[in-house]
Parts: sequence; structure tokens; C-alpha cells
Amino acid sequence: MKILVCVKQVPESEAVVSIDKDAGWVDVHDTSVFRMNHFDECAVEAAVQIKEAFPGTTIHIISVGPERSEVVIRRAIGMGADHGTHMVTPGDGFVDPSTLAGWIASLSEASDADLILCGAMSEDLMQGQVGPLMAEYLSLPCATAVVQMTIMPVGEGVHVEREIEGGYREAVALQLPALLTIQTGINQPRYPSLSKLLRANKLKLNTLYVDAMEDSAPLQGVRRVTLPRKLREGVFLEGSASQKAEQLLTILSDRSFLTVL
Amino acid sequence: MKNMQTSGSIVVIAEHFEGEIRPITYELVHFAETLQQFSPAPIKILVLDERAETLAKSLARTTGKDVLGLRAPQLAQYNGQVYTSILHEILRDHPPLYVCIGHSSRGSDYAPGLAMRLKAACITGVSALSVQEDMICFSRDVYGGKINADMVSNTETTVLTVQPGSYGPAPDRDLPKGNVCLKSMTVSPQTSTTLSTTPFQTSDLDFSAARVIVSAGRGIGEEENLELIRDLASVIPQSVVCGSRPVIDLGWLTYDRQIGVTGATVTPDLYLACGISGAAQHVSGMKGSGFIVAINTDPMAAIFNLSDICIVEDLKTFIPVLLEALSNKR
Repeated sequence: MKILVCVKQVPESEAVVSIDKDAGWVDVHDTSVFRMNHFDECAVEAAVQIKEAFPGTTIHIISVGPERSEVVIRRAIGMGADHGTHMVTPGDGFVDPSTLAGWIASLSEASDADLILCGAMSEDLMQGQVGPLMAEYLSLPCATAVVQMTIMPVGEGVHVEREIEGGYREAVALQLPALLTIQTGINQPRYPSLSKLLRANKLKLNTLYVDAMEDSAPLQGVRRVTLPRKLREGVFLEGSASQKAEQLLTILSDRSFLTVL
Repeated sequence: MKNMQTSGSIVVIAEHFEGEIRPITYELVHFAETLQQFSPAPIKILVLDERAETLAKSLARTTGKDVLGLRAPQLAQYNGQVYTSILHEILRDHPPLYVCIGHSSRGSDYAPGLAMRLKAACITGVSALSVQEDMICFSRDVYGGKINADMVSNTETTVLTVQPGSYGPAPDRDLPKGNVCLKSMTVSPQTSTTLSTTPFQTSDLDFSAARVIVSAGRGIGEEENLELIRDLASVIPQSVVCGSRPVIDLGWLTYDRQIGVTGATVTPDLYLACGISGAAQHVSGMKGSGFIVAINTDPMAAIFNLSDICIVEDLKTFIPVLLEALSNKR
């Protein structure tokens, strides 16, 4: 079985972000830590578990992003994937998700894959679009927010459970090739092994260069970015930790959530 | 059928589950009415179901909008391919201006693919609308809600998924009921089949009795720090410990304690958010709380935008200080 897993590098959730000078997009402060999107990590883990159960399976990793995002491909290989392709973008700017999906879908690793796994969304942009759009490009059946999957005997495809609202799950049978987007909680991603990481660091990745600026007709664009509106007053308590604690106790007891003497 | 043409209209795709219209449907109608103020066009509701008649009539009565019920045997259960194929067939020859879909597990499943077939832009997780220099902008959260991005569409038709909880239901008015039209659709065999929809975990937890919810997020770091959250809850009467998705994914709390889009929606008098970043998926489950206090190390955390009291501290050191201060007073 050939599996393609799409991974993205994202800033840590505590990263310091600001609005760039013409309010066109987001600047991530350069001291921030970047890592693999957590949803994608779960997708890599799911692929590695299939490889362990079905010897002969190969896993190819694709990531689209600036030069520094190469490390997430190597990390995925360290977790147990075999090869990787890096589509290098000039920067971190917004790319229309259909443009991005089209880039990945054009790879032979995408059209040859029996199974394509993506994260359910990226933690930074939270669009949840690249997976389903690629499925549409490649005319594949697609299930999103997958929390459980079973590869069936040859010819019977893959059975998955999707998470839906209210504590329900939807069981779906898909013929292969198929595309699945993976929800967190499906597994606990492993740490890369040292020996595999050493191999990953020596491995030559396929490198391609892409540029969203050459996309003459993006379907959507960013008009501007702003800081979110404050929905409540949001009083920031000041002082030392114990001073803040005293203030909080007063506030909570004034509102009779707590009784203090 | 003439009045059911979708050309140039604002289309709302109703969401329903086990014979009930989901609340997001009425929120979508409200969203569509707001959009209508910027882009005058008739609103049409489409509802897809095995039979569709009861749902369509109920929607026409409660919303006053024209409703087109699309029925097919394959619609006994939700299936993304079936939805995409039926909606594409209905909409392709009569392109609407907008297709409004819930940003729910089902809506997010079929919206992007439908958009691509309609050659439309798909903007997901929309929480607000504005007009800037004659362009309609669709606001959505990025970077965990720390930044708001105003998106614009460059296509004739635009598919939008609307974040649940961003728009309340449309205000009640005494409206004449809308027209109902039913249409049977044929669907060719698909490469994906929905097998079943089943509850996977049930719970006896009753949030309505909880006056206070103490909630743990990824910021708690280690499982043992959950003890701090429990200690804090133990000194607050009528409180329950809950968490955001990452904490449940790690198995540190059971699913019935997950607050947010795929978990519970709660409105306690006090919500104490500990180490919660405030991404939209979580916020939609708790933003109706009476009083919100957030503790987070990140001063930019989105949770602070909807909190009454903001405390920039590491909960691992702050909660012990707080408990100590309380015990000194008691």
C-alpha cells in the first residue's frame, strides 16, 4: 500500500504573533518555536501504524512551506515514514487553499497513492480545506474528522468513524484510493526514534519550488487582518501572583462564588 | 418550481439530525439575513433528507423562507458524496451568490468539495461580516483566535461555513410561512457509504446543576497538574471539572467533560478557564457563561478577549498561591 501524508509546520500555540505593517497578514515573531501541526502528527502516526500492520507499505510525506519547514518532513520520517517532498514557498503568506490543494494533487505521489492522510485542519489557519479539496481534485472518496480507522481485507477499502456533534460517531466505508482527514485523539503520536532520525537527516528530500504570487486567479484573498474584538471588559489583574490571588478571591467572594471570612 | 430557482440567491443548507432541525440552521438563516443587508438577494433554504417533507414544511413555517426539499433514498443518513452530488446538480445551472453551510462536522465535510465543483471560493469558520470599500469581508479566526482575518471572495458563487454560536437564531417575527417545494433526486453509486450513526459515549454528568465550571486546557502541561484543577474545584461549591479538546484527547479527562463544538455547550454562572487558549472550537461551547475568569501564561491568548477577569500567570504556580491565600482566610 502507498500512503501519502500531508504535514504542515505551524507556530506553537503560545507563539507571539502580530499584524504586519500594512495589515495584510500575520507576522510570527522570530523567537517563536515552530513544530509539526498536531493533527498532522496524528496522521503520520496513523500511517506508521498501517505500515507496521501491513509490511510492504510505503509512506511518503509532503509539506508545503518556507525553507524552515523541512524539519517537519524529517521528523515524520523519524517517526517511520520513508520519503519526503518539500514544496518550498518564498514565505509564510496566505495561499488560497484550492491553489495549495492543486499543487499537492499534481504530484505523482498523490495520484499513485492508495491512501492520502491529512490533518483535519492546521492549528494556525484552521480552514480544514486542503484535504477535502485534494479529494475533489483527484476524484477520491473523502471522510473528514476521522477518529478511528480499519483497513479492510483487499478489495473492501477502509472503514472509518467520523466524530460528529453530541457524542455521536458516523461509520463510513470508503473504497480505496481514498482521502481521510485525521482528528486528534485517534492515537498518541510516537516520538521519532534516534536511529530513524539520523537516517532522516541524511536523506535527500525531493525539493520543488512554488510561488502563490504566480497564481493569477486565486478564488479568495485576505483583505486585511485585525486584532479580535473584545467581547467582554477583560480586566487584567496587576501585581505579584499573591496580589492577583487576593484580588481574585475578593472578586469571587463578592459575586458569592466563594465564601471567605 | 419557478420561485425555487436558486440563481442569484442566498442559499442556506439546513442541518438536521434524527428528524430534528439543528440550531445551527436558524443561525444560518440569521447570518443570511445579515448578508442580505449588504447583498440584497432572496434567501432559499434547501433541506436534504430521505423524505424531506416534514422538515421542509417545518422550516417554511418557522423561518418564513421558501424551502426546497430534496429527497433521495440515499439521504437516510448523511453522506458527503451524496450531499455534494445532489447540491451540485441543483446549484450548477442556477448559481447562487452565496451558499451558507454550518461549520459543523458535516458542513465542513462537504463544503470544500461542493465549492470546487461550483468553481466557488470556500471560506470556512466565518464568524462576522463587514463591508470595506464596497467589498463584503468574511471574518474568521486565525492563529487560535489571536488574529482576525477578513477574507474576500473573487468568485461568482461563494460557499461559506458559519461558526456555530456566532449568530443567534433569527429574531422571532410574525412572518407568513414560506413556500415549500419538494424534488426527488437520483444519485449514482458512490465510492463511500455511510454505515451507521451511533452514540459512542453517554454520560450521567449534568452540567445544568453546576454553578461553576473549572476547565483545564493544554496549558496544564502534565497530567499530574490536573490535580491542581481538582483541588481548585474542591474549594468552590457546586463546581465541576471539565476540559478543552487536547486534555480529552490525551485521555486525562473523559469525553463527557469536553467543552466545545464536538463536546458540551455550557452556561455556568462562573467559568474558570485554566490554561485554555480560546480557539473558536472551544469558545462556542462556553462563551455564554455568566462570568469568565481566565488564567494563561500567554498575554495574547484569545480567551482573554471574552473574559471578565484576565490573569497572566502560570496556573502551576498560581493555583497553589490562590489555594494558600484562600485557606488563610478560612
